[in-house]
Order: sequence, then structure tokens, then C-alpha cells
Amino acid sequence: MSRKPYVRQMSKTSWFLTHARYKNYILHEVTCIFIAIYAVILIVGLFRLGQGPEAWQGWLDGLRSPLGIIFQILAFIFAVIHTWSWFKVVPQAMRIQRGEDFVPGNLIVGVHYGVLAVISLFVLILAGVA
Amino acid sequence: MSTRTITMEVLRYRPEQDQEPFFQTYTVPCDPDWVVLDALNYIKDELDRTLSYRWSCHMFVCGSCGMVIDGEPKLGCKAFLKDYGDKIRVEPMANFPIERDLVVVIDDFIEKLESVKPYLIAKEPKTIEQGEYLQTPAQLKAYKQYSMCINCLLCYSACPQYGLDPSFVGPSALALAHRYNMDSRDVGRKAREDVVASHEGIWECSFVGACSQVCPKDVDPAGAIQQTKITSAIDYVTSFLPGGNR
Amino acid sequence: MDVINADIAIVGAGGAGLRAAIAAAEADPKMNIVLISKVYPMRSHTCAAEGGAAGVIKSNDSLDYHFNDTVGGGDWLTDQDAVELFVNEIPKELTRMEHWGCPWSREETGNVAVRPFGGMKIMRTWFAADKTGFHMLHTLFQTTLKYNSVKRLDEHYATDLIVEDGRVQGVVCLEMCTGKLKLVKAKAVIVASGGAGKIFPFTTNGAIKTGDGMAMAYRAGVPLKDMEFVQYHPTGLPGSGILLTEGCRGEGGYLLNKDGYRYLQDYDLGTATPEPVLKSMELGPRDRLSQAFWHEQQKGRTIQSKWGDVVHLDMRHLGEKKINERLPLVRDLSRSYVGADPVTDLVPVRPVVHYMMGGIHTDINAATTIDGLYAAGECACVSINGANRLGSNSLGELLVFGSRAGQNAVEHVRTTKAAAGKSVEKQASEAEQRIKSLYTRKGKERVSVLRNELTHSMEDGCGIYRSEDTLKSTCEKIIEVRDRYKDVMLEDKSSVFNTDLFQVLELGAMIECAQTVVVSALERKESRGAHQRLDHVKRDDVKYLKHSMAFFNPNGDPRIDYLDVVITKSQPAERVYGAAAGGQHI
Repeated sequence: MSRKPYVRQMSKTSWFLTHARYKNYILHEVTCIFIAIYAVILIVGLFRLGQGPEAWQGWLDGLRSPLGIIFQILAFIFAVIHTWSWFKVVPQAMRIQRGEDFVPGNLIVGVHYGVLAVISLFVLILAGVA
Repeated sequence: MSTRTITMEVLRYRPEQDQEPFFQTYTVPCDPDWVVLDALNYIKDELDRTLSYRWSCHMFVCGSCGMVIDGEPKLGCKAFLKDYGDKIRVEPMANFPIERDLVVVIDDFIEKLESVKPYLIAKEPKTIEQGEYLQTPAQLKAYKQYSMCINCLLCYSACPQYGLDPSFVGPSALALAHRYNMDSRDVGRKAREDVVASHEGIWECSFVGACSQVCPKDVDPAGAIQQTKITSAIDYVTSFLPGGNR
Repeated sequence: MDVINADIAIVGAGGAGLRAAIAAAEADPKMNIVLISKVYPMRSHTCAAEGGAAGVIKSNDSLDYHFNDTVGGGDWLTDQDAVELFVNEIPKELTRMEHWGCPWSREETGNVAVRPFGGMKIMRTWFAADKTGFHMLHTLFQTTLKYNSVKRLDEHYATDLIVEDGRVQGVVCLEMCTGKLKLVKAKAVIVASGGAGKIFPFTTNGAIKTGDGMAMAYRAGVPLKDMEFVQYHPTGLPGSGILLTEGCRGEGGYLLNKDGYRYLQDYDLGTATPEPVLKSMELGPRDRLSQAFWHEQQKGRTIQSKWGDVVHLDMRHLGEKKINERLPLVRDLSRSYVGADPVTDLVPVRPVVHYMMGGIHTDINAATTIDGLYAAGECACVSINGANRLGSNSLGELLVFGSRAGQNAVEHVRTTKAAAGKSVEKQASEAEQRIKSLYTRKGKERVSVLRNELTHSMEDGCGIYRSEDTLKSTCEKIIEVRDRYKDVMLEDKSSVFNTDLFQVLELGAMIECAQTVVVSALERKESRGAHQRLDHVKRDDVKYLKHSMAFFNPNGDPRIDYLDVVITKSQPAERVYGAAAGGQHI
């Protein structure tokens, strides 16, 4: 019996560095960290609002600080990447069959961007910006 | 006839002599129209009879010749030399134990394939005299894509979840389960649930999507798995409703 | 040596082997069935079949039509009782496949659809896009997983049949991942190991089609029947030999020579019409189409391409939608391998060796001359294909005779007492010694050199058109190669997945099969179907309405004997194609 199958172990910490597609995947996953942090910041903001005008101002000042600006720019960039990379794969999860054809992936993705645009506009109007 | 000289770096492993795999270099005079498999056949016929690999149909339908070429999981018969430079690195598929040279042990996959009950579990039995189950072209279209899998296992080679945890049922087996679940003649979704909707089944998948990117037959196993997650989640929730099977 | 006790051993897990396993498991769930294959079942060459499987189900069709098409297509060398049974059984088998989940292409009503195919009077070919063999193979393989009584020995190479007192006792096989031999004892053995197209240099066949099972049965004393009848498929891709299904022509494709002319009209195959007409022009039988290419080549009317002489397959008028729907694999193959998109370009094609009509001699029950030994599929010759097989009859053959082999094997096991088996272990150990000796002796002939010489000689001397001189020359070459094979080198001396060893064994089988092809061809001094002699151009029903039977002779050429063809309803006549054949207009 001279079989001796050789197992090449995958590195648990650096496997994603071996190929561009894995690096892209990790980037896509990592974007949600920034989104999560931003969500926490917003929740804290809500909390601060309830604590009175001074607390609220403190929170707004934090957002306007250099560190705050840098973070928000990064978070925005990551949010865009997050949106783009998730929207891109929706057609794989959401296959809509019409007779013998499937609704084209571009259409499904397009509708997502459309809805995003409408909601964004609505929020901007509410915020008095648009 | 013009030739191209290609340097092939092939990962070798001879369990009876080698402690671990190593790269061996061959200089191969190639026809520019060749695929990597043709170059391997040249090596075996003319340069080194000891090089072992699997192949058969040479027309990307039998699934035998899966390997990693310049870091990318590909079928040897579908990797055209004209798409590569003058130095090509060939390795066995990742995430499987290496048996010998480019031959990997796929017993784990065979077990997984068998475990998802990949056969038609029919709604109502029919006799031969009653003829065929009716299935419209639209109903056929619903699962057709998922029936194209040639079991080449490039998807397992690409899947980092399978690499990190080999208990994952994996893309091909789950795509095949989906093929039957989506077949209008089949009612086996519940029977396949234990394996498919288990922790090692669809829920181990984090939608990296590498499997669908490397699939030579456009089966889109990643899509199959995500779609199964949706139906499985719905199944789970509705099972709590009155009349649900809990 | 490890011994495995089984009731039925099946060698080969392609369409016929898998169907036999299911049939046996259903006939008796308590039987121990061992399915031995040198590749995982889904790699079997059944997967490469594209076009479809013919079966009478439409109301404008009849079993008689299918019978007559097959008998005429086979140039009257078919055994008509077997053809009768075949055309009767095949619609049931195809329906059974559908019940098992086979994704047949459908009509709008939901009923199974049919497409036109060569040599068939009425459209009757069931299809699953242009991957019918692939879908059938996977359906059969996945269905066998339902039966616990079917145990598989994947990647085990069967080397020898064990026969004692004219009865089969089992099979010796080599476990490919360890190099160890195993003895599978069984009262019934079914050989379903496929054809031997690889004895030619240019073939649609995959690496595994080396005639191992044919050679194994032949060495055990079973004659190989009608081996001289080798089918050239008219449309293979030049260079690689990859198959482009007859379905291309069924859907309406044209074959054009260098002048853009549909040359088949010059060869008694009818007149050129824009829409396909069954049994006419491009939908004529395969032997006549391949022969027409040869004639065009002689006249200098073929196209000189970088791969040699070709003709053009024109599918541009079919439109992208139809091609994507019905011929998607053809499109992918054509674009990948010759850089031609059938939607916009002419595709270069040429005849390519595709199928062996001949094989292990069996009767209508898939039984051979050895008690308990059965054969089915391309490795067998019943014969339903005669001198030329019609496209889409082969996939059906796997099911009908695979099923019969399985059922009859069960019956045999039930009604047969265990044999004494005194010499079984001895024979197994002799088989082991033969393989071990490959490791210890020096040898001086390289496998690939012998293989190349063999295959090229076959193409040169035993191709589409043959003559006494060319056949004799190839005969001598094979004897030389056979002799040199005794000195073949095993350059890889390892045991774990030693593909050099497998190729050495395969070459042995190829040499035996090649010899039967050429000697049978030499002895048959007539032209019939796929066997065309430049020196004997006519069909001779007086002397040769018989099957050639090649018997193994370890020291020289095979001994050729003859067996009468079974004629029932259809007396030999002229083969008629073109308008006179009255084929369906599409």
C-alpha cells in the first residue's frame, strides 16, 4: 500500500492574497465594517439628540472634525463599493423567469440603482439639501 | 507548420519517492492551436512517461482534466496556448489531496454528490404506457442551466470555504440538488433538506462567487446556492404556520 | 489478491453498463452488483454523444419505418430479429429515461420533441439540446445512486476475464490508485466497455476508447463480429477530430465544397432543397456522406485548410436563436477549436472515425458464447447496426441491450449453480504475474512510438476506402507492432496511478482490436456500408450476406469465420436515398 495523498493546507490568514478575485471578495466583505461603524455613529447621534442641544452639537462637531471628515469620506467610498459589488450579484440570487426567458441581469441591477436614486433623492429633500 | 516553444512548469508528486510536491520544467515545441492538454500529452509521449494526469474527451464535456493553470482553475482541454505566454505553470486542482502529479483524490466529492439524493423523486409514479411527464419548454428552462454540470470540480478548487472547511457540501453537489429541486417533475426538496439546508450545506456558503467565475459550463453554482437559501428560508418560516410540517 | 464476491460484475460504467446495473438491481434487489470502471462513470464517453436517440412516438411514424430505415441503413447486414426487438423496445426505454429525469427537449405542449436525423424517413430522434449523451449518462449515473445493491469500483481497470469450463467466473481488475490487483468473483459478467476508435489517429473518441473489454472477451475466446465496419462521422472538426453532431444537418445545415456547391447531390443522395428532407442530401446515411468526401478529395474539390483537406458546414441560415437553442455546444466547440462561429462563418469539417459497428458477438439477449458472459453497447455487436449505423440508434442501443443484459444476468445467476472454480485463483494469479513482469523486464519499445505507428497504419491502409494492397500492408504492420509490443517498455515503475502502465495495457487491447479490423476487412471481398473496397466495388449478397467472426489466435492472424445474417421481413435490396426514399419534408 504505497498511497500517500498529499494535502496542501490553505493558509487561514493569507489565503485571499493568492488571487485577485479573493482580494476583491475580501474588499467587498470589509466594506460592511465601515458601514457598520457608520450605522453605530448614526445611532449614537440619535442618542445624543435625545440628550439635549449640547450633546447634539458635540456629536455634530465630532463629525466635522478632520478625523470625522476623513472617516466619512472613506465610509462613503466603501458604501459605494458595497452597493456596486452587492447590486452586481443580485441577478444570481434573484432569477426572474418570464416564459422561456429570464429578465436580463442588467435590468434587475438597473432597477436597484433606480430605487437607490429615488430613495436618496427623498432623503436629500427631507434633509433640506435638495 | 509553425511551432511555439513553451516552458511548462508542472507540479510533480510521486508518493513512493517524494516527501512533498516539486516543480519540474519541460520545454515543449507546440502547435500554436494547441490546448494545455495537448502539451501535456506531448510531454508524456515524448519527454517523460511518468507524468500522470486524467483526461478523456478533449471537448470539455467529460470533466476529467481539471487543473490549475497559471493560478487559475481551468480544464486542460479548454486552455488555449494562444491565451498564455511562453511559460506556463500547471498544478493539480486545489483543495483536494494530491494522489499523484496532477491527479487528485475526489472521494470526498463523490460522497457529497451521493448525499444530496441527485435523482428524480417524482410527484406521482407513471407507467411507461402513460407516457412522459409533460414539461413545457419554460419549465425545462427553469432548471436546465443547473443540469449542465460536468463534475469537473474546478468550483471546489476555487472555493475558499471548501478550502478552509472540507465538510462543506460544495458548489457542484448543491447546484445538482438545485437542478432537481427546480425540476417541475420533482418533489424531493424536503428529502434533500437535511444535507442541502444544513450548516455544511448552503449555509456554509458566503457567496464568494469564485465557483461561478471558474465554471466552464456557466452553471452558476453560486446562484443556485443563493436561490436555495431563499427557498430554504421560506420553507423554514412557513413550517411554523398552521399546516406547515414541523 | 483481494477477493470480492459478487453476483454480477459489470465492466464499464457508461450508458450501457449503468443501464444494466439498474436493470439488474430492479430485477432482484438482493443481488450483489459490482460496477467496475477505469474512469468515474460521468467521464464515460457516452457523455460526448450529442445528437439524440431515435424512438417512434409520433403519430405520423411507425415501427416498420424505423425498422426499414435501420435495416437499409445497415446495408442489410443487420440481424432483423434484433432490429425488430430494438425498434419496439426503444420508445419504452426513452420514456423510462424521462421518468428518471432526463431533460429531453420539449414541444410547446410539454411533450417530448423529436428532430430529423440521417437515414431516418421520419423525424424521430429524441434529444436534449446537443448534449443528449451527456444528459443520458448523468441521468443514468444519478439514478444508479438510488440502489444500494450497486457497488462501484471507480478507477479500476479490468484486465482479464476468468473463465472455467466455458463458464465465466469473474474478472480481475487493477485498482488504479494503488496498482493492486483484485479478483471480483461473479457468476455473471457484463462487458459494456465501449468501442475502440483510438486505434485510428483521427477520431471523435476520447482517450479511454481503446477496446479493453472487446480485447478481454476476444482473448477469452469470444469472437469479435463485423469488426471491419468502422464508421466515419461526416462532420468532425479538423485537427482535433472533435464531433459536430449530425443534428447540425438535421436542423438544416449544408455541406459545401470549395465552390460553395452542395456536392452531395452528385452522389445519388437526392437534389438540393433549401429545407432538409429526411433521407436526402445532408440527411443521408453516414457511410455515403463520408465516402462522398473522399471522392470530392480525389477530384480536388475540397478546401485546403491549415489542417488539411476539409469541406464546409454552413449553418448561417439557421439563425442565432436556433443555434443557441439546439446547437449551443456545437457553437462553443467551433468557436473554441477552429475559431469559426456557425452563426456567421462556414465551419471546416471532415470525416472522422467515430463508431465501431462491430464488437463482441452477442445474440438478441446480449449473451455471448461463454456461459454467463454478456455484452452491451458499442463494445457488443448484436447486430442492429449491420454495415453502417444510423445516427441516434446507438444511444438507444445502450438502453435496450444494457437492460436486457442486466435482466438476463440476473436470470442466469438465479438458475446457475456455483461452479467448482478450481482454476480461478490460478488464473487470477497468472494475470497478476503478467502485469508484474512488465515491471521487471527491461523492454525497448516506447508505448507512444508503437501507438503512433499502429494508428497511422490503420488510417493509411484501412480508412474509408480500402484495397488488397493497403490492407495487406497494414496487416503486416500490425503483426510487426504486435511482435514489438512483447518488448514494450514500462518506463514508469511506480504503483500509484501509473498512467504509463494503463497506456501499455490499453495498447495491448488496441493491437488485438486493430488486427481483427484489418484481417476481417481483408477477407471481406465486397463493398458494403462502411466497408468500401476499391478492388471489390459491389455488394455481394451471395457470398457475403454474413457476419465476419474473428477468433483469437495467440500466434498469428485471427481466424475468420462467417455467420449468416438473420433475415425476417426485409429482403436485401438497393439502398435508396433522395426523393425516391420518400422522406419527410421539414
